[in-house]
Amino acid sequence: MLDKILQKLIRTATGRTRFIMAVTGLSVALLLILMAVQLQTNYNELLNSKSNQDSIANFLVVNKQLNDQNLGATALTESEVAELRKQPFTESVGLLSPSRFKASIQSNSEMFPFYTDIAFESVPDEFIDVTSKDWKWDEQQNMVPVIVPNMFLDFYNFQFSFSQNLPQLTQQVVKMIVFRINIYTSTGIQTFNGRVVGFSDRISSLLVPQGFMDWANRKFSGENQAKPSRVIIRTNDPGNPELVSYLRSKGLTTDADKTRFSRYRQVVDMVVSISWITGVIMLVFAMLIFTLFIQLTISSCRREIELLITLGASPGQLYKFLMRRFFPINIVIIGITLVLISILQYLLHHYLISRNIHIGKYISWQTAVAGMLLLGLIWVVNRVTIKKYISVS
Amino acid sequence: MDIELDHIIPVPLKDKILARQSDIWNRRVTWKQGSYIKIKAPSGTGKTTFIHILYKLRTDFEGNVKFDGALLEKTDGDALATLRQQQLSVILQDLRLFPNLTARENIELKRVLQIPFYESDKIDAMAAALGVQHVLNQQAGLCSYGEQQRIAIIRALIQPFQWLIMDEPFSHLDNHNATKAAALIEEECKKRNAGLLITDLEDDQHFAYSHQFNL
Repeated sequence: MLDKILQKLIRTATGRTRFIMAVTGLSVALLLILMAVQLQTNYNELLNSKSNQDSIANFLVVNKQLNDQNLGATALTESEVAELRKQPFTESVGLLSPSRFKASIQSNSEMFPFYTDIAFESVPDEFIDVTSKDWKWDEQQNMVPVIVPNMFLDFYNFQFSFSQNLPQLTQQVVKMIVFRINIYTSTGIQTFNGRVVGFSDRISSLLVPQGFMDWANRKFSGENQAKPSRVIIRTNDPGNPELVSYLRSKGLTTDADKTRFSRYRQVVDMVVSISWITGVIMLVFAMLIFTLFIQLTISSCRREIELLITLGASPGQLYKFLMRRFFPINIVIIGITLVLISILQYLLHHYLISRNIHIGKYISWQTAVAGMLLLGLIWVVNRVTIKKYISVS
Repeated sequence: MDIELDHIIPVPLKDKILARQSDIWNRRVTWKQGSYIKIKAPSGTGKTTFIHILYKLRTDFEGNVKFDGALLEKTDGDALATLRQQQLSVILQDLRLFPNLTARENIELKRVLQIPFYESDKIDAMAAALGVQHVLNQQAGLCSYGEQQRIAIIRALIQPFQWLIMDEPFSHLDNHNATKAAALIEEECKKRNAGLLITDLEDDQHFAYSHQFNL
């Protein structure tokens, strides 16, 4: 009953247009801010989730920058590798093991003769972008699977074959060719059969299974522990400026082209930060408008409020009444905003799934929490404003 | 609740007051709860100022006002509101109704500001006793002064109190209506074992005063 009478007293004084303006401003600001939070979490999800990781995560082959001082001493020490492993941008580090023995490959067929000296490299399987059931080796097995850089085949097909008057070869044809691998040991030549099982875009060397490499290095080279000169690191963010500057400071280099991802990253970052900044600025203004609206309401009912206090209405009662009058609309605004973002997220989820990008169907808990925090902020601002202006009037 | 006045002088009237005799200004006076106090005050002696000081509508005075030993100047915010809701009721000379509310709403507001002392049908009973039942649902601003004054009286009587302070409460009423209003006021004060304090220009016989003062 008290509320009804107070409402009648205080309603008469406030303009409807101003109220709508204040509410609209606040809604847009909250929408922008909460959208920024949702975008940020979507983006983090894209970077970190398992299903998306391979499409975005990147692999960098890192080695020392070769110069006059370190010729012949480009091996990475254990401490260097350990330090690299500790960096925030590194997800995992794999050592590339080079072969320590002399080897060549040659054709089995007289029809299509070729011969070349060659060196292999191996890397833990998790760093390889080729999946093939043939990618395995044990000591009983004479057939050694090999992964070839795509670049090699391109080089052959589009340059070498023309100059040598040789036929061009598709990936399927190359995979069918069985060739001979010769390993030169102190006791003579050991022969294996080799076959290409896949083509890699990731590592630019001829890869053999790690098991074969370890075994062959042990058996044919005499050196027990081959020191790696190159490592492959997995990072979720090859465009991270920290990574680039770290590598530079340590005299390391990597494939510069891989940092192209940083451009997409920058665009997304920019969109998110613009949304953030706009949202925050709008929030500040919207809060200002809302605060002014409260002030205006209170000051336009100054006489009524004064008389109410004269009659014995307590500041507490007035505060409660005014809070009940101004605050609930904010709950509604936040509610509607969250629902709106949920719908957008759901649509986005379906849109992106057709492009093989997976983001959550529902809004993130961070967005919901941010919504609650903003509600808390608005509550505090309302409270402070109302308290201040009640005591003034 | 006892009222204690300790040498109060309103600052704007200080010179004028010190130049003459007064039973109230610049004196120590104590009133027990349940007393009926009449303060006769010719125009210009600070009658309304005195009521406003007691009700803490103004604080530009020297000296102390104490309710049950508690300094009025230290009472503010929610405590002052509690005092006005539970212990001190007032009928001001300028009535101070909300012109946009109906007469009933004006009274109802005061009734529900605290835990109600009376049910809402008491409003009708009192209005009937004072002959203003017909204007209860009319906007207060449209009522005549006489009607407004009676509404203000009912508003003051609808709440719990230990003291009722009145500033010329019958100024717009004829004798017949003033008598009816005084009877209702006395009845309500007895019910609460409350005291009353009335200021007026002239002597009157509305109540059986226990003390009479000249301001």
